[in-house]
Amino acid sequence: MNEIQYLGEHLWVGTVGHLSIILGFVASLFSAFTYFKSTQTRGTEFSDGWRSLGRIGWMIHSICVFTLFSVILYAMSQYYYEYQYVQAHVSDDLPMRYILSAFWEGQEGSFMLWMIWHAILGMFIWRKDYKWESPVLAIVVLINAVIFSMLLGLYVEIGDTAYKIGANPTLLLRNVLELPLFMNADYTSLITGNGLNPLLQNYWMTIHPPMLFLGFASTAFPFAFAIAGLWTGDHKGWLKPATSWSLFSAGVLGTGILMGAIWAYEALSFGGYWAWDPVENASLVPWLFLVAGVHTHLIARHTGYAIKSTYLFYILTFVFILYSTYLTRSGVLGETSVHAFTEMGLGLQLVFFVAFFLLLGISLYIYRYKSIPAPEKEENIKSKEFWMFIGSLVLMFGGLLIISSTSLPVYNKIATYFNEDHIGRVIEDPIEHFNKFQLWIAVFVAILSSVAIYLRYGNKQRKWNKVSKHIIIAAVVSALMTYLLTFWISYKGAWQYTALTFFGLFAMVSNVDYLFTQTKNNVRLASSAVSHFGFGAMMLGIITSGLNQSFISNNPFVFGETMDDETRKRSIVLIKGEPLYSEGHFITWQSDTLIANTRHYDINFKKIDEDRNVLDEWNLHPNAVYANDFSKISAFNPDTRHKWHEDIFTCILNLSPPMMSQEQLKEMEDTLVYNTYYANVGDTIRGIENDIVVEALSYEPSHPEYNPEDNDFGVSLVTTFHNRESKKDTTVETALGLRGPLVYKYPEKIESFGVRVRPADTLMNMIFPIESDLVYTNHTITQGGSFSVDGTTIELVELNNKPSKSSYEPEDGDIAIEARLKITQDGISYPATPVYVIRGNMPMSIKHYVPQTGTHIRFSSIDPVNETFGFKVSQQSTELPPLAIEVAEKVTRSDLLLLEAKIFPGINIFWSGTIMMMMGLLMAWILRVYSKNNSKRKES
Amino acid sequence: MKSSYIIALVLILVSIGIFISASADVSTYATFETAILSQSRVKIAGTLDKKKPMEYDPTVDADRFVFHMSDSEGVSNKVVLLKPKPQDFERSEQIVLTGAMENGAFVADEILMKCPSKYKEEEIALRK
Repeated sequence: MNEIQYLGEHLWVGTVGHLSIILGFVASLFSAFTYFKSTQTRGTEFSDGWRSLGRIGWMIHSICVFTLFSVILYAMSQYYYEYQYVQAHVSDDLPMRYILSAFWEGQEGSFMLWMIWHAILGMFIWRKDYKWESPVLAIVVLINAVIFSMLLGLYVEIGDTAYKIGANPTLLLRNVLELPLFMNADYTSLITGNGLNPLLQNYWMTIHPPMLFLGFASTAFPFAFAIAGLWTGDHKGWLKPATSWSLFSAGVLGTGILMGAIWAYEALSFGGYWAWDPVENASLVPWLFLVAGVHTHLIARHTGYAIKSTYLFYILTFVFILYSTYLTRSGVLGETSVHAFTEMGLGLQLVFFVAFFLLLGISLYIYRYKSIPAPEKEENIKSKEFWMFIGSLVLMFGGLLIISSTSLPVYNKIATYFNEDHIGRVIEDPIEHFNKFQLWIAVFVAILSSVAIYLRYGNKQRKWNKVSKHIIIAAVVSALMTYLLTFWISYKGAWQYTALTFFGLFAMVSNVDYLFTQTKNNVRLASSAVSHFGFGAMMLGIITSGLNQSFISNNPFVFGETMDDETRKRSIVLIKGEPLYSEGHFITWQSDTLIANTRHYDINFKKIDEDRNVLDEWNLHPNAVYANDFSKISAFNPDTRHKWHEDIFTCILNLSPPMMSQEQLKEMEDTLVYNTYYANVGDTIRGIENDIVVEALSYEPSHPEYNPEDNDFGVSLVTTFHNRESKKDTTVETALGLRGPLVYKYPEKIESFGVRVRPADTLMNMIFPIESDLVYTNHTITQGGSFSVDGTTIELVELNNKPSKSSYEPEDGDIAIEARLKITQDGISYPATPVYVIRGNMPMSIKHYVPQTGTHIRFSSIDPVNETFGFKVSQQSTELPPLAIEVAEKVTRSDLLLLEAKIFPGINIFWSGTIMMMMGLLMAWILRVYSKNNSKRKES
Repeated sequence: MKSSYIIALVLILVSIGIFISASADVSTYATFETAILSQSRVKIAGTLDKKKPMEYDPTVDADRFVFHMSDSEGVSNKVVLLKPKPQDFERSEQIVLTGAMENGAFVADEILMKCPSKYKEEEIALRK
């Protein structure tokens, strides 16, 4: 077979991209090796030379990362569908603003995003930490080498099985799939892409992944510093330069996770901000380890204790970031998570990724363990460092508990290797399971972060009564506030929740007190107070918005046939235009509008008191997003009313099946049973549930979907339905349109009567008789003359040699003349314009039909000598036979939607609390960077 | 560091305690047969029995969807799901239900579905 010369392909993208992957992989290995040598030869004359080589390798690797990122992004922005990655993630109709989202929708794209952050962050080491450059960057560039290997796309055969190393994002579609389509040299002009999942067509998808991956990438730096410390044996030296990295990392990773929570709450239909989903847990756990590490890091810098645990925490942080990558990308989570990536067959490689860095970290840690310095003396139990250390341990155990439960699918998978019949175990109610334990972790952390702040490092403690005074006052104030809050929220009679609220408030009160009485304008201390206050506020926010959330949509008319279950009372069915009362509100679906591929629903809420006075009124616009080809609805997005003290969240859960997809609509249409009725205008038909009156037959149809064109012949039936049960009347117009040889039907429906109505197929023939049934008579007149047929007068008004309004379509060489006639019956006149055409010596006539008078008329001959004109007329009776109409009754309503409306009291307390936690961390980071710069300036 | 060792030891003991108590939250996937025997809340995994009819009428009760599912043993049983009919239900490859047996029907209030390809379509779309 001959090679096909394909058209419209842009092969340079693949060449440049693939080259960048291979060169980047090699360069990062080279850089890692030379930086390794530079570290090993530290203190000798060779070190600088190795370092220079390391830098060259680093530079090449960075250029490759940026080039790869750019060419693939470019190919996506140009819709180069010959590339499999482009074809899988963009489509013709995808707006440019979602190109970045589409880029990191896939695993390959998110790997590239991760690498690019490593490359950017690494530059700052280069500039700032000369001494630590070689060991730290050796580790970071080694990580990038491993990520590059995820993009290699090599197949290695061991024995009979082929193992895949990486998935190459620069492959051509025709090399991935074998399709007959590729026999066509111009296939690129035929295909479009799959596009971005409509659920992800959202600005959060543009900003959340970069933030989260910046967080992921930044954890490599505390890890790399820790490894560098162990490696060089300088166990204290790395602590200072690493401080700002770990603060930055904790702040950014936390913000990334928080943004995910806001996204889930604001734009997704999950109906909450945290669901203990495995993917959420997997990123929370490393953050908990990192925060634990930040605390022991501070202890280590102030007192020299806890260096060992700091090492361990930073190693665990990074290893668990890798583990979370494994969980979300290997497909191991299966059905336990709502939002894991699709499987790519890289599971084994990801296991290697985790195992490699785990072994590297832990073996180095064990090897150096004895040499890590620690003060001989035992910590003072009354000191700050002692309680901070305990707090870090609590955080670590909290994280370990979460990850052990989350890893259940992993244990199941391992168990099946040993026993194929192993039955997988699952957590029955994850939310309850996690809340039950994490509640106590939160209480411990709150106590420690309020009491420990009053203590000092080392042995010079303040007198106990000075400290206890503050603690007692804070406790009394918090207890009072806990009581006062019961006027707003409830603790559901559970002492655990009362305790959680009390300790949350305690953390808030004592940190405010600390901020004003203890920090003495020291901003660095203030940043910790901000974070700890935020933690307390978050706890309070969980009680107000989580425990106290309530449903407006509470369906009071549904009786459970079996259990009195709370879940049954969360949604209401709205019928378009009909207000529904639920939990003190009237809720009305007023209208809906389709804009692009999103249908926006206008839902009106009226809050009323007992006397039906309207207290408050607002509209919310949840929406439904159609799949890119409009075949079905693929997602529902919520809408939320934000008030200062509470949020009102609404989301559509479901529509009636025919509204959900074309397929179901067709299925429903097919099952309808139409009865055909015959009636004259004015007659009443007795239907199953309705009395139907045919009001009129109109030759000028009006129907929302019918747009008449010049040569159409349209007819419509105006019918009034009287529903015998509701005693209501509704009038609808259903139409038929004849365009060329095609008949179009325009059915109508009355949802509240369960009625579908349409004209019968035979109606067109009744009104527009078939030509062969007609008998014509011949008539000859002069211009201005007239004649009569059966009481109908036909007058020739004028002739026109440029016919315009009739169904005549001119061709070259035609001679065409249009007769303008006036047809009068019972004193009413109608115009008619038949056409006489000579096309290639053949005379033709184009008929005009006037339905109102029943006149069919043809312009049949011209006598140029006598100036007379011949017409053929067939005059039909205007009395029509009974009209045929088809009606289906008892049809299930399709204008229904299922709505969830939820109140989140005090959700702003939760958001401000979490934001303050991150702000405190980032404040601390900025202050350190700032003071470092200042001290450098002083030195010089 | 001795006092912190003691506290760490306490924490480890507490964690072990939590772990043992947490094992009550964990269960295996049941079958209809074991669900009848236990009469308690269980999870059942299975596939949709397409031979039996489905009932869903949102006008009567939007939170009630009746269908039949075959469990891992191949036993088909009636299921009453106290939730709206999920999107793409017919396409599901696997269904996981949480609930209990009541009068011969499995009454579930939670459902998880595994669909053939969540985010990707396997076909190549042609330009229209």
